[in-house]
Amino acid sequence: MNSNLFFRELRSNAVTLLIWTAVITALTALTMSFYGVFLENNQKILAMISILPEGTLQFKGISDVDDLFSVLGFYSANNVIYMLVLGSIYSIVLSSGILLREEYNKTAEFLLAWPLTRGEIFFSKAAVVLLNVLVINIVTAIAGYITLEIVKREPFSRDAFLVMTLYTLLLNLFFASLGLFMSTLVKRAKPITTLSIGLVLILYFIFTISNITESLSAIGYVSPYKFVNLDTLNPNYGIEFISVLYFAGLTMLLTMTSFRLYRRKDIYL
Amino acid sequence: MSAPAIDITGLTKTYGRDRGIEDINLQVDEGEIFGFIGPNGAGKSTTIRVLLNLLFPTSGKAQIMGMDVVRDSKKIKYHTGYVPSDANAYPHMETEEFLRYCGRFFRPDGNGRRINELTELFEVDRKRKISDLSMGNRKKISIIQSLLHEPKLLIVDEPTMGLDPLMQSRFFELLRSENRKGMTVFFSSHTLSDVQMLCRRVAIIREGRIIKVEEIETLRKRQLKKIYVEFNGQEDNPLMGLQGIEDTPLVSGRTVKFLFSGDINRLLSTLSNRNITDMTIEEPSLEEIFMHYYN
Repeated sequence: MNSNLFFRELRSNAVTLLIWTAVITALTALTMSFYGVFLENNQKILAMISILPEGTLQFKGISDVDDLFSVLGFYSANNVIYMLVLGSIYSIVLSSGILLREEYNKTAEFLLAWPLTRGEIFFSKAAVVLLNVLVINIVTAIAGYITLEIVKREPFSRDAFLVMTLYTLLLNLFFASLGLFMSTLVKRAKPITTLSIGLVLILYFIFTISNITESLSAIGYVSPYKFVNLDTLNPNYGIEFISVLYFAGLTMLLTMTSFRLYRRKDIYL
Repeated sequence: MSAPAIDITGLTKTYGRDRGIEDINLQVDEGEIFGFIGPNGAGKSTTIRVLLNLLFPTSGKAQIMGMDVVRDSKKIKYHTGYVPSDANAYPHMETEEFLRYCGRFFRPDGNGRRINELTELFEVDRKRKISDLSMGNRKKISIIQSLLHEPKLLIVDEPTMGLDPLMQSRFFELLRSENRKGMTVFFSSHTLSDVQMLCRRVAIIREGRIIKVEEIETLRKRQLKKIYVEFNGQEDNPLMGLQGIEDTPLVSGRTVKFLFSGDINRLLSTLSNRNITDMTIEEPSLEEIFMHYYN
């Protein structure tokens, strides 16, 4: 890793990180501020939910209606959208652009003429992605925890909250490694932001479809969201070994494969 | 005896079915200013990008100062500077910030002394954002960053593109002065006059192949001019007896166009006996020189 490149990249991505973190934190806080009103109108909400098509709650990652009225259930239902989807989009957009940007801006001609190995370039940039993903997860988790403490009506499981946060981080890191991998596959330099965002949304859509439709439940395993357990009110809720293996294994595999590809990649400008 | 500054043997780079460069063989001696000319798309930038390890060779090998361009790429770059043809430096950075960033890859302090020296020479405003700079000023930044670490080898790709004549002359003078201190220069261009002004030898590349490596003096001796002569009325065989015509003159109405490489005095003296209304002497394009040499 090269510290000059690392700190330069960190600085150039700082504003984007700040904006995404601020937006997700604000959305989380805003949504959680409705929790009190939600509880006070629980009968009306139950009546409304009863007329919704079956599967609507699953779409939000909720397996039981009662979960919605617990503070953690309410948080996780909204967290699905904010950190599991938006956080993943942030991660994949950041990682897919961090190497490719040098190619489509043609700055790679400078970067690769300086005394750096491909490995140093790759790992300096991958380290920036890792740090940014960690920061956005930690900051939004802290902000989420504070809002939970503020709006809660009864105690909630801190362990369950931590587990959910860890799942979010694992998922975001997986998408970050997927972005790096995609960028090393692109032959001619072009932005792949749209493709990255589309991929996250498609994988999330596959997961929700598989939840709603019994006959399609098997295709859910195509999506990493299937391995994220949000059943926070389950007494046995915890980190599942298979999920950790899935996320850690795939993240490592994609990162190391990307490194091997980038080491031998022709940089076309 | 030290290794050549650049030693390329049987180097080929293909892009799938597309041609890149084919079987390039080239040696650049340490301490020389070597020209590399060819029309756009001939393979100049591809050759340079293989030397800098942006592209991997399909076959053959290339060495810089005795080191392999793939295996020893990082070591090579401590001693090599590069001016790319597109001066697209990081647009959101300020000039000084960018130069210090470049400098820190070679020295922890960013080599402020050298930055001062070169920015003064090229009259660069160090506080301006790179995105606000003109093409010429971006080129200057690109040149400065390539020389910050006082490289043993400088590779330049179309360096004068966008530079005004004053800056071009300062740049050439700087190259000559660094060359006197021992720096080798690999000067890639499609402008023959730039190459002629600086280089001792030149390699001509066309359609991915080196077609000639020649002393610049030899080129100069055979220096071609493109001549247009407009006669006052139709003349039969107006150039009769004139020596030094290198191609078949093209006649269009009352104008005759031809390539000439002989004694210019004899040309003028021959034409003074004819009834002419206009005459133009031009540098032939590289393409015309290629056609002349290799047809």
